Amino acid sequence: MGTDADHRHRRQGLALPNLDGMHATTSSPAVEADRLHKRYRSKVAVEEVSLSVAVGEIFGILGRNGAGKTTTVELIAGLRRPDRGTVRVLGLDTRRDRARLRQVLGVQLQEATLHSALTVTELVRLYGSFYRDPLPTGDLIESVGLTASHRTRFENLSGGQQQRLSIALALVGRPRVVILDELTTGLDPEARRQMWATLERLRESGVTVLLVSHAMEEIERLCDRVALLDEGRVAALDSPSGLVRRAGFAQRVTFRAATPVPDGLLEGLDEVERVRADGDRVIVEGRGDLLQVVSVALVRAGVVATGTRGEQAGLDDAFVALTGHRLDTEETVR
Amino acid sequence: MTDITVHRPGPRAWAGLLICELKMVARDTAGLIVPIGLPMLILVMNASSAGRETIAHGRTAFDVYVLPLVFTMVVATTGIVNMPSFLAYYRRSGILRRLGVTPASPALVLVAQAAAGVLQIAVGIAAAWILAMLAFDANPPMRVGAALGVLALTVAAMYAVGLIVAAVSPTPNSSVAIGLSVFFALGATGGMFGGRDSLPEVITTIGQWLPFGAGSQALSAAWIGAPIEASNLIGLAAGLVFGGVVAAVFFRWD
Repeated sequence: MGTDADHRHRRQGLALPNLDGMHATTSSPAVEADRLHKRYRSKVAVEEVSLSVAVGEIFGILGRNGAGKTTTVELIAGLRRPDRGTVRVLGLDTRRDRARLRQVLGVQLQEATLHSALTVTELVRLYGSFYRDPLPTGDLIESVGLTASHRTRFENLSGGQQQRLSIALALVGRPRVVILDELTTGLDPEARRQMWATLERLRESGVTVLLVSHAMEEIERLCDRVALLDEGRVAALDSPSGLVRRAGFAQRVTFRAATPVPDGLLEGLDEVERVRADGDRVIVEGRGDLLQVVSVALVRAGVVATGTRGEQAGLDDAFVALTGHRLDTEETVR
Repeated sequence: MTDITVHRPGPRAWAGLLICELKMVARDTAGLIVPIGLPMLILVMNASSAGRETIAHGRTAFDVYVLPLVFTMVVATTGIVNMPSFLAYYRRSGILRRLGVTPASPALVLVAQAAAGVLQIAVGIAAAWILAMLAFDANPPMRVGAALGVLALTVAAMYAVGLIVAAVSPTPNSSVAIGLSVFFALGATGGMFGGRDSLPEVITTIGQWLPFGAGSQALSAAWIGAPIEASNLIGLAAGLVFGGVVAAVFFRWD
């Protein structure tokens, strides 16, 4: 946390919480979940989920549909009671200290509707009235880009506009911790970039953000750390780049070989870690200047290669490597 | 973290929520026709057949039978049909859940919704009363205090029945269907479709204990200045308690 001057400066920004008198002790985490377990009838939704989010961090929860993301954040928000385990948000027990938790936790729920016949301004005012020191209505509406439709009823807003309003309402009470469930689902690219900018500003003002997503780009770009959920468990917890490193390779080169590749040609290169064939395509994984090294080796050996392509390993590769699933499909890769 | 103090939503939040609920009601045009338009229609249709002969104390059959019936209808449509459909919609759409993560309690919504309903009932009754006075020379009740007391008890009992409807209906549409069924069932036993004299005795007996019949009979008694039947009051009170208990047991926030 900074000086008073810092606070004044920060408060000039839009949608930035007022941190005056709200110095969090940096030693204790903003969110601490300890071995959470939740079962719905016969299905275990969340199993042994532990995570610790530092104050001021943007923490991602990444996983496929049904991996337990929403249940996890509902447990953290105190909306559901865990079968086992505990959650503390800013040191508050999410079940016993609910009243205090509600003062400092802003939540954007996935697919929660609002009063259909009320307008944007009416809803922001209404939700603001529940808090001690709400953000100014007009400024907040402007910061999520809804000024032009501030007199539109909720039922007449587009999906993306409803989403943005929902985010505004999560921020209206100047929360210290914000849970955003599927932040940019349904937003067009422009609105998505606006939301990302809003999140960056939140981070600058010291607000802790828990971001549930299955959008790799969003997680990679915004999150300090990510918990990768798979079948209700934390499969990995690291920074996005740390997760990518765990995928075991940094570079990938693919090409089509018009003439056979001599055995051991690529495997013998220092930079290469793995070579596999996928139909007529050859996939080479490794590190360093892989594309250059592979190309030179192929030319020297007289192999005619077409469609040669080099890629950086991304979070989606890490996801596959760590869980055995692709993020966007139900199919199992290995 | 001892620096986090609880800020309970104050009068501004309550007033804001009430105004929002009223806007919701006012903007739901179809929802307004039933509690306000329908009773006025019944009033006009029954006015001619009720006749103008005085029954007692200068009160006509119109005053003693039609007005209590119409007022009870206003209360019943709002309490049993409109209020539960709003609650079912709030639950279904996640509004109650969303409010559950703010410092506002979802109970705040129920109270605001109930208050908005009472105002709606007041408007419906006022509209029917003005029409009755202007067009049919209606006379006020002999015992105004008793009439208001009975009306208040009827509102509470109908809301309790409405809470049962809200508690048992899985979707907003089903709550309208269940609400209307309950409304017509209570109305039929309470003399809504013709005088109680023409109903089988067993139904009349049941009807005087159920909220609709009990409410309109007790109002009739207040109008003509007669003592109010204990069975009516007990019926209304029992309806209130029963509905409250059933709703408390079965009501779900999400």
